[in-house]
Amino acid sequence: MNQSLIEVHDLRLGYTRKRVIDGLSVSLRRGEWAVIAGRNGAGKSTLLRALAGVLLADGGSILRSAEATPEKIGFISDRFSLFEDWTVTRAIGFHCRAFGIGSFDDGLLRRVGIAGKTRIHDLSAGERAIVHLSLALAQRPSLLLVDEVLHVLDPFVRDLFVGALIEAIAVRQAAVVTVNHVFSEIERLPDRVLVMEAGRFAVDAPPDELRAGMKKVIGREPLPQALPCLFSRADGEYKEYFIHPFQEEMRREHGLDFQDVALGEIIKAFIGGGYERKRMA
Amino acid sequence: MNLTIDANSPLPVYQQIMQAIKLEILSGGLRDGDPLPSIRDLAKLLRVNPNTVAKAYYALEAEGFSEGRTGSGSRVKAPPGRQDALRRAMLEGELRAFLEKAVALGFSAADVTKMIEKVGQ
Repeated sequence: MNQSLIEVHDLRLGYTRKRVIDGLSVSLRRGEWAVIAGRNGAGKSTLLRALAGVLLADGGSILRSAEATPEKIGFISDRFSLFEDWTVTRAIGFHCRAFGIGSFDDGLLRRVGIAGKTRIHDLSAGERAIVHLSLALAQRPSLLLVDEVLHVLDPFVRDLFVGALIEAIAVRQAAVVTVNHVFSEIERLPDRVLVMEAGRFAVDAPPDELRAGMKKVIGREPLPQALPCLFSRADGEYKEYFIHPFQEEMRREHGLDFQDVALGEIIKAFIGGGYERKRMA
Repeated sequence: MNLTIDANSPLPVYQQIMQAIKLEILSGGLRDGDPLPSIRDLAKLLRVNPNTVAKAYYALEAEGFSEGRTGSGSRVKAPPGRQDALRRAMLEGELRAFLEKAVALGFSAADVTKMIEKVGQ
């Protein structure tokens, strides 16, 4: 599981005027589920496209192991386009020829009830995601990149989708990278959480470590100066303080109610903290 | 097997899986030599990362609750003579966590003993 699949070093990438990725380094390993979070425009989708090999870097390097060549990388995005007036069957045929795929498993398509003769432009957002996923899985990928797709899926399709990702990790030791804005659905899935800020990763840690390192205090009183507050949010009379880095001794020292924080809230605090620092700068 | 994962529990998921399997073993739901579900099946069933299930299985094996056999997955190892010691160890673990919380809340050992007697009645 610790075998490195892709090594990104000091990556820099931008569009005409704006640098989106700025000195980012990361190593992705086989069999891990990494989730990338960050505010809008933080460069998450750009990074995925660079990993997939569809965007070229301006600087730095992306080293691929022999298993992570672009044809072994499945890329699923709501922006990824197929020829809109093709039928699903034709798109599958094209994809299989392009990637030299011998057999195509249409199990997911059948379970969702997508007929081969349906035209791509008649598919719902969820159906498109399932078609993309089926195409990506047919590549027998070592790396699956999933860009903000989960939250457009209805609960049944999402279950199938997440199940297929779990299976890819369990059976093929694929690495899965998802870009998310909503975390309740995958609370217990990622091995690793990456929070992007200013074109690089400000956070790279296992979720359990993040849960242990951040707690929330709700109160009307100002927070004791000694407590490190990453982010605070006022809600009427009460204020929510996100304490980071949290240490267990703080419970005894301050006698406050330090509450556990769900993954989505942890990420919100990191992103919000980023916004505040940016305003101050 | 009755396994549920509480996504909001502060207890890491692999520990929740370990607890649940140990409970099954200690209550006789899983017997010596029974196969544990495959990592893939359990991960899909519980909607958790396969690595988390693998971690729980490794830890169970390290604690002597299961053993791996090449090709056939993990099997439960529960020699009848050990049951009692295991049950005791498990309760002790729970008690330790509870006491840590009590101390953090500022209770003394005497307070806790008194409370256990009161609730016990």
